[in-house]
Amino acid sequence: MKTKSTSRRNFLIAAGAGSAGAVAAVATLRKPGAGTKTAAGAAKGDGYHVSEHIQKYYKTTEV
Amino acid sequence: MSATAARIEVHRPLPPEEAARADFYALLGRLLYAPADGTLLAALAAADPIPPSGDPALARAWEGLTRASSAMDIDAAAEEYELLFCAMGKAPVSIYAGHYIGSPAADHPRVRLQGEFAAFGLGPRQGHNEPEDHFAGLFEVMRVLVAGAPGRGSAPIADQKRFFEGFLAEGARDFFAAVTKAGQANYYRRVAEVGLAFLAIEAESFELD
Repeated sequence: MKTKSTSRRNFLIAAGAGSAGAVAAVATLRKPGAGTKTAAGAAKGDGYHVSEHIQKYYKTTEV
Repeated sequence: MSATAARIEVHRPLPPEEAARADFYALLGRLLYAPADGTLLAALAAADPIPPSGDPALARAWEGLTRASSAMDIDAAAEEYELLFCAMGKAPVSIYAGHYIGSPAADHPRVRLQGEFAAFGLGPRQGHNEPEDHFAGLFEVMRVLVAGAPGRGSAPIADQKRFFEGFLAEGARDFFAAVTKAGQANYYRRVAEVGLAFLAIEAESFELD
C-alpha cells in the first residue's frame, strides 16, 4: 500500500527531477554569517537577542 | 559493576530530494540576503539546466535565472537590489514577511517568529540584526529545518509544514509576485520566478503529507 509519505517523496522526486545537481553547486555559496545560529550557540549566550532596533519596533506594536 | 552506554548520534544522509529542497532554500536565502556577488553570478551562470521532465515551470524559471546571471554584473545586481528592497523611504518591494502576512500588533509575525525560533532553538547569528521576518532569514530557517545543522537533525515534516504555512506559503508567494510586477525589477524578476515555482512545489508536497 502506498503511504502518504511515499506519495510526497515520489512527488518531490518527480517535480524536482534533475534539480538536485543544478542547484547544489550554487547553494554552497551562502554568505558567511548569514542566517541562523542553532541551540548550541544560543546556549553560550550568543544566540538570539533583541537588538535596539527591534526593541524600538516592539514599542510601536504595544496597544 | 556498572556500565554506561556512550551516546552515539547517527546522522543519516539526506535523500536527494530533501537535499535539493534544502539547497533551494539556501540559494533563495542567499539571493535575498544581499546582492548577488561575482562568485554567485558565475556559479549560477555555469549551473546545469533543470530538465523539463520534472516541473516545467521550475525548469523554465531556472533557465531564465542562469541566463540572466551570465549577463548580469555585480554593480548592476547591487544597484537593483538596493533600488528594489532598500530604497530610502518606502522600498518598492518590502522584503519582510510582516508586510504580506501582517496581523494585529499583538500577533505580528515578528512576535510569533520569536516563539518559533525559541521552540526550534534557533536565533540570528551575532552581529546580524535584521528583523526576524526578513525573507532571507525565513528561507535559512527552512534550510535548517530540512537539512539539519551540526548537532541537530532534520525537523519533522509537520514542523516544516507549520513554519512554511505560517510564514512563507502566502507571504513569500506574494513577495515574489510583487517582485515580478515591480517596474524596477530585472534580474530579481528571474530570482522571483524561481522562488514562485519552487514554492508551488513545496506547497503541493506539504499537502501530500
